[in-house]
Amino acid sequence: MKNFEKIYIDSGTTWTKILKVDKEKRYEVIKTSDFKKQKNIKYLKSTGHSLSKEKGIYENELIALSYGARKYLNQGYCVLDLGSRDIKYVKFENQKFSQMDWNSSCASATGATIEMLLKFYDVKNEDLKFNKEKYAITCGIFGLERIMDDVAKGIEADVAISKFIHGIAYNAFNFVKKEPKICVSGGFCENKCFLDSLSNYCEVVPLGRFVLVDGLYEMDNLNNYI
Amino acid sequence: MKNIIGFWGYPRKELILEYKLKYKDAQFIDLDIDYSYPKLSLTPDNYCVIIKNILNNAYYLKDNLIAILAPVGKDKCDSAYFVSELLKKEGFNVIQSIFEDKCPDINNLKTPISDSALPLKEKIELITKNIIEQKDYSTLPKTKAEFGFWGVPPNDLEILNLFPDNTSVFGWVRAVEAGYPGDFELESYAKENLPTVFFCQSFCSKNYLAKYLAQKYHGLYIDIDSTPTNSAKAKIEAFLKLR
Repeated sequence: MKNFEKIYIDSGTTWTKILKVDKEKRYEVIKTSDFKKQKNIKYLKSTGHSLSKEKGIYENELIALSYGARKYLNQGYCVLDLGSRDIKYVKFENQKFSQMDWNSSCASATGATIEMLLKFYDVKNEDLKFNKEKYAITCGIFGLERIMDDVAKGIEADVAISKFIHGIAYNAFNFVKKEPKICVSGGFCENKCFLDSLSNYCEVVPLGRFVLVDGLYEMDNLNNYI
Repeated sequence: MKNIIGFWGYPRKELILEYKLKYKDAQFIDLDIDYSYPKLSLTPDNYCVIIKNILNNAYYLKDNLIAILAPVGKDKCDSAYFVSELLKKEGFNVIQSIFEDKCPDINNLKTPISDSALPLKEKIELITKNIIEQKDYSTLPKTKAEFGFWGVPPNDLEILNLFPDNTSVFGWVRAVEAGYPGDFELESYAKENLPTVFFCQSFCSKNYLAKYLAQKYHGLYIDIDSTPTNSAKAKIEAFLKLR
């Protein structure tokens, strides 16, 4: 097995994102449950909900996000990270930090809920299409109830889930105070239905799910440039 | 044995002095603080944790309490007023206090602890301790503030350890040190261009003021209930690092 010089880890609730750097960069995504089974992984920096906060190694997610998306933040984009169980954003003004928020409690209706719904109704991610209707889902539990009620009434599950995702996108748009330009980080970048739903409200730039590990790499290699 | 004088907030100085002279051997205990006494669930769940502390402490110490010196004016809050009245009904000896004196010159205040180089947690503990002790700390070395903390003493003081020592204190705590806990202008005072965290306990009516000031001074508004969530701590850390 190849020994990489530097490893950076973003271990989220469901998925762990890994950046391995040698002469080249290699990105990997594995289930966090599988990552936890791996022993003796030596990493330089880490972030994410599922890792302990080792001093000198662990960085907080908002800081990793800010470093990873610095280029876009400096262009005036708001950067939104939507994960399995939380939502956070950062905004710069005149190339300086100006706003942020992080909700890890009431944003439970995010990635993990969608994955659960897709599995439960046997729907594929690629089958989801933007639906101009949306469920008001200030609470994930009520959102699930709406989906189940509508499916019971004969609405196709993929349509109901799409409306749910539109609701998440609308909530995300409100969470960032209706910013006109939003860069999206996290697993939702691979959900076209979400990106199309959010595009209904603002300009959207998907950055992929490795922004935080990129941020760790940047922090490790270029100090204090923000 | 009745040997404790309970208080919350900042009772009027003359009232404190009167009880100090009258009960020379009594111990003053700040009922705002969580001493891990049994939790009574007297209030609704969604209620200010400081008021919950007051009730838990008062009932736990009831047999030992000589009196409770109870600020109920703009220097504390409406919740404290209602608690004081209800405690009276429950047989506590409650002495209400209103400390709404206006500060004559906001630019000429003595706030050596707030502006000192002590760790933030020590600053706030010292200011609240000094409500009773009234010691002179004017010789404390000053520091050039790089950050600000605005608000009341948090229920969980551990969040204060996130701040560097060159953090100055503002809000109600500074107003207390200055001796004007009910002065709105003094409580609203913050510094332009000083990155400041505007903190408030959840369910406290000061939240609007905290949010308003955070917007005005481009600071971070944060409300925390009994203990901070990881995201609350991370927001403070990120704010201090990115600003």
